[in-house]
Amino acid sequence: MAVDLETREAGWQQDLERAGLLRRLLRARKWHGADWWFVAIASVMVVAFIVLALFPGFFAPHDPREQVGPRFLAPGEKPDVESLIIPGDSGITSLLDIVGDERVPTAVVEGTPSSQAARDEADRITQVLQDRGEDVRLRLRVQRHDTIQEALDELVAGDAVIAVASSAAFDEVADDYPSLDVAGPVFEGQTLSSFLLGTNQIGQDVLSRLIWGTRIALIIGFSASFFSLFIGVPLGLFAGFTGGKTDRVLTVFMDSLYAFPGLILAIAITAVLGPSIINVIVAIAVLYIPTYYRIVRGQTLSVKESLFVEAARSLGAKSRVVLTRYVFPNVIPSVAIIFSVNIADAILTGAGLSFLGLGLPPTTPDWGIDLARGQETIQRASWLITFPGVAVMLVVLAFTMMGEGLMEIFNPKLRDR
Amino acid sequence: MRDVVYSVRGLSVEYPTREGSTRAVDDVSLDIHKGEILGLVGESGCGKSTLGKSLLRMQSPGRIVEGELWFGGRDLMTLGERQMQKLRGRNLSMVFQDPMTSLNPVERIVDHIVETVQTHEPGVSEAAARDRARDLARRLGILENRIDDYPHQFSGGMRQRIMIALALALNADVVVADEPTTALDVIVEAQFLDLLRELRDEFDLTIVMITHNIGVVAEIADRVAVMYAARLTELATVDRFFAETRHPYSQGLLRSVPNIDLDEQSLSTMSGAPPSLLYPPPGCRFHPRCPHAMEVCTAEQPAMADVGPAHEAACWLYLDHAGSPPLEVVSDA
Repeated sequence: MAVDLETREAGWQQDLERAGLLRRLLRARKWHGADWWFVAIASVMVVAFIVLALFPGFFAPHDPREQVGPRFLAPGEKPDVESLIIPGDSGITSLLDIVGDERVPTAVVEGTPSSQAARDEADRITQVLQDRGEDVRLRLRVQRHDTIQEALDELVAGDAVIAVASSAAFDEVADDYPSLDVAGPVFEGQTLSSFLLGTNQIGQDVLSRLIWGTRIALIIGFSASFFSLFIGVPLGLFAGFTGGKTDRVLTVFMDSLYAFPGLILAIAITAVLGPSIINVIVAIAVLYIPTYYRIVRGQTLSVKESLFVEAARSLGAKSRVVLTRYVFPNVIPSVAIIFSVNIADAILTGAGLSFLGLGLPPTTPDWGIDLARGQETIQRASWLITFPGVAVMLVVLAFTMMGEGLMEIFNPKLRDR
Repeated sequence: MRDVVYSVRGLSVEYPTREGSTRAVDDVSLDIHKGEILGLVGESGCGKSTLGKSLLRMQSPGRIVEGELWFGGRDLMTLGERQMQKLRGRNLSMVFQDPMTSLNPVERIVDHIVETVQTHEPGVSEAAARDRARDLARRLGILENRIDDYPHQFSGGMRQRIMIALALALNADVVVADEPTTALDVIVEAQFLDLLRELRDEFDLTIVMITHNIGVVAEIADRVAVMYAARLTELATVDRFFAETRHPYSQGLLRSVPNIDLDEQSLSTMSGAPPSLLYPPPGCRFHPRCPHAMEVCTAEQPAMADVGPAHEAACWLYLDHAGSPPLEVVSDA
């Protein structure tokens, strides 16, 4: 009877264990309340950033290093470019479609750069065609008008095949000419569409640079943290476990490293090593080795003295077994938590370094570099400094929130560190 | 008398402290017989745990400064650390006071046992070791399917059984149990003591039971060793010890145990406090608190001597000495 009861109890426990991981994670919110939500929200953000960093080419609308639009275009503002206006039913999509022997009648407005732009592009196309060995030319017969309405009227009347005008000017009167369309920008490579987050001082797309910058930020954050983890954790384990002189020497060394102001040390290291992403990672990693070392050494010292280690020794366990099966698994949870907060720190330091012009080559799409450049033109184009700043803040917030939340959940004893 | 399985000869253990070394075990000689349960009693800080750990040479940070530990025909003091490691778990093992913290929280119970078995018998396969773990669990009254659980899923009494299972995994010759029942409540304690007795009978186990609970000793031990201020003061079979207590300290200990049969208004207590081991009193260490203290007690340490059949005590009352009248009873009151 008693055995029967106990087996039933054990079965019930196994049922609980069989509940899926996802369901258990979901249920955990009842225990941990706000911390659970912190971790959940932060994890979603972290995952989103990681996806962005893995596939920046998929999400970024433009090449982050190319000039893709006019300079200093505000977020959402339409660029004002010379554009090709055609009757909606003409089938013309670019100047290439009207190449031929005849001079093409082109309506422009007197006193605007439109006629010059049209002729320049026509000459360029002619040059390209002749370079290809085709004996054709594109020649325009420019017909000047006083107002854009006159020019467009001529186009509607059929006296001109195309018109060239600035897109802003056309937009103002576009409603009056429903039969006319914008075929595209006159110059190949220019765009008529607006940029979600604007463009910077050399016409690069801010959004694309942000997305590609995520990759740089996460590479620096993760690599630097892994680097310091792989050096700091074994050193801490070793020092804490062996104790004695080695421990003292290592600890003094690590403490002196820890006592340095972080950014200053990183600046010194990158200044010596020279600009490259590897050097930035090394510099930041050196900065954070003592963090892991101290935590792991402290935990090792306390676990080493715990009764279960003594009990294991009394059963003949060797030092290697004690270290790998007793000390290490009991130390590693606090390392995992520090790791997450550490990534946030490393990203921030990395951005700080490139903001100061150290570390990364200047063409890199990096938040720190964008911040430094944006700062020069903050009064003219505040979006250049706002969006990279927000990006840094969000990433750091996500990782810190996740780390701190996990710390609250898994290791309340570490709370006051 | 049964065979001696472990013999301690003149053992002294010192702890380095800032004020000099403290002798926690001073010149203790003791035979442990095969298949017996030896109760080692004394108050806190008298050195009984240090003595127990020294049996496995686990007294660190203390140092064994003198003495011999004879086991299996060898003096363990001559062995290297590696050879000691082989003995621990296989021949000598230990059960600790606090079952809640003496198991690795991140390892399953079965892995504890498998690990211990494989440490000492590297040839044993994982599956065979698991079978052994299951077998042990069954014999110790732990459900077989629970050995895959983690320590935190067990109660204190269960964990203490698991500790015993670990000690038994390789059939250790001598198990040192350092206050194994202190952290358990009286019911679980009684169950645990029954289990120990059964195991002793079944495996012919030798157990050194360190405790400050004289009731536990009366319940389970075959012989009693009493320690006071780092020295052994009395050693007797349990019957003789309770029937004819010889040493004044032991007498005081027994008097201060509450007894429901006696019609006493208040519990008698021993005056004074145990001496500092850094500066032990000269002569017999108990003399400042002893109701029978004589002049010789203040000058010379008494040695262990026979005071009856299978009964030894270290007290001048039972030794020949330059006869001198008893001193005034020293009172600290």
